[in-house]
Amino acid sequence: MALIKHLSNRMFIPIVSLILIALAFVFDDWSSIWRGYLNILQSPSVLVSDYVYIGGLGATLFNVATVMIFNIVMLRSLKFKMSGPVFAGILTIAGFSFFGKNIYNSLPIYMGIWLFAKTQKLQFRSFMIVVLFSTGISPIVSFFIFGTGWPLYVSIPAGIAAGMATGFILPAFSAHTIRFHKGYNLYNVGFAMGIISMLWAVILTSFDVPLNLGGPTSEVAHVQLTAIALILSTFFLVMAFFVDRNPFKRYPELLRSSGRLVSDFIREYGQAASLLNVAIMGYISVSLILVLNLQMNGPVMSGVLTVMGFGAFGKHPRNAIPVMFGAWLAVALTNYTLDSVGMVIALLFVTAVSPIAGRYGPFVGIIAGMMHILITPYALRFQGGFDLYNNGFAAGFAAALLIPIVETIKRIKPEESE
Amino acid sequence: MNKQEVKILTKIIRELSFFLMLHGHKDFILETKNTPKTTQFLITLHDAKESFLKHMQEKLNREREMEVETYGWELLGDIDEHSDFAILGSLIDSMDYTQHATKTVVTLVRKNRYLDES
Repeated sequence: MALIKHLSNRMFIPIVSLILIALAFVFDDWSSIWRGYLNILQSPSVLVSDYVYIGGLGATLFNVATVMIFNIVMLRSLKFKMSGPVFAGILTIAGFSFFGKNIYNSLPIYMGIWLFAKTQKLQFRSFMIVVLFSTGISPIVSFFIFGTGWPLYVSIPAGIAAGMATGFILPAFSAHTIRFHKGYNLYNVGFAMGIISMLWAVILTSFDVPLNLGGPTSEVAHVQLTAIALILSTFFLVMAFFVDRNPFKRYPELLRSSGRLVSDFIREYGQAASLLNVAIMGYISVSLILVLNLQMNGPVMSGVLTVMGFGAFGKHPRNAIPVMFGAWLAVALTNYTLDSVGMVIALLFVTAVSPIAGRYGPFVGIIAGMMHILITPYALRFQGGFDLYNNGFAAGFAAALLIPIVETIKRIKPEESE
Repeated sequence: MNKQEVKILTKIIRELSFFLMLHGHKDFILETKNTPKTTQFLITLHDAKESFLKHMQEKLNREREMEVETYGWELLGDIDEHSDFAILGSLIDSMDYTQHATKTVVTLVRKNRYLDES
């Protein structure tokens, strides 16, 4: 009973990592997992690097589970309680470990943030939101080590130094960027990292270091990845009923929230309603992929897991569906297509701007979704590919452009005045 | 007290003022009292309804979240909904109120545990 209480307080995240590691050995044997895992560790990992393509499904799941376990142990050692941001952070880390994050390219970023905390005489744990989302820029480490073509005795120290420097500036910078979009971009750290990534891209380009924007994606694990996404969604649904026989009790309240940063659904509406929402967001994401007949691969799986994670930190069907519909509508009305993986994942990551729909209604949400997906491909070229949260970068611009206009119109309407 | 703490305290004052005015309390007195261990915010209100005070208490009497100290606090003072008080709740340790004949005194306490304890 004590163990169940312990796991419930951690939103069953340790079980998820065990499910993933078990599935790794279901799909592959140890020798191919290890071979694939080494390929993953040596990949430059810039956008878009599908680890399922690079290392195989078993090795990718092993990578996801090990990165998750490392972060769970870190949170445990810091005596961190589970909250909406922490849950979202862990599932986002899990998601992006399908395409770009691994255990060693994350560490220099953490070290940089730790160093920043020390120099500011602040507790490292107080930067936990930034820490958990910081590894979105971990490809900078891998790129320096394996993507520049420099000898390892130069590239390894350069990669570690670049990662630490990035981690060092990230906390102060991400706290500042939140004001740019007024908290209406849920991937705020992604926005901050996009700007830092842009800086790295121009520095490297000025030294004639060619930037490599990733490679092909896997097309062989569609069924398995879809099954994993459904298994995890169903797991969270069952756990919601396990925690409370009626998880719907506080769900209408959760649906009424705008979801604007910093919305901690676990704290505000409890574990059961949050777990239920996580499961529903998972089902919505998988349904979108299946209905539009899109290919499930590492990056798309990352999108599904991130949407589920943010089911405890700002996203719910009422604010997410309008922006997803807006993104799809923009593709339908323009020359954009869903042929590239970047556009497919944007259909999921567009939910970064969900709080706009939550606050200003579905119509403005649809416009936000349209703006977001139109900006996304340009944002990737702009930031150079080191920021895995490219959609966070694009969402920052979409929100910052839209919010002042909507607020001005709202102020003009007399019935809305205070 | 370091500069970051001063920034947070002044943002809290702005958020409180904004919240009170949004709820129709245009006349109020807001005092701060500082000791090395705590900062108290004392708000004197006239004609404060019990439901309003309960709502405020519900939003503010939550567990302090240290991670908001470094992340979401920049949004303080920029609430856009009457009920949007979540960030402030993460920065305040406790909220209480006492009602007198014609006035209500609301007391908010923020313990100074921002600095590294080491």
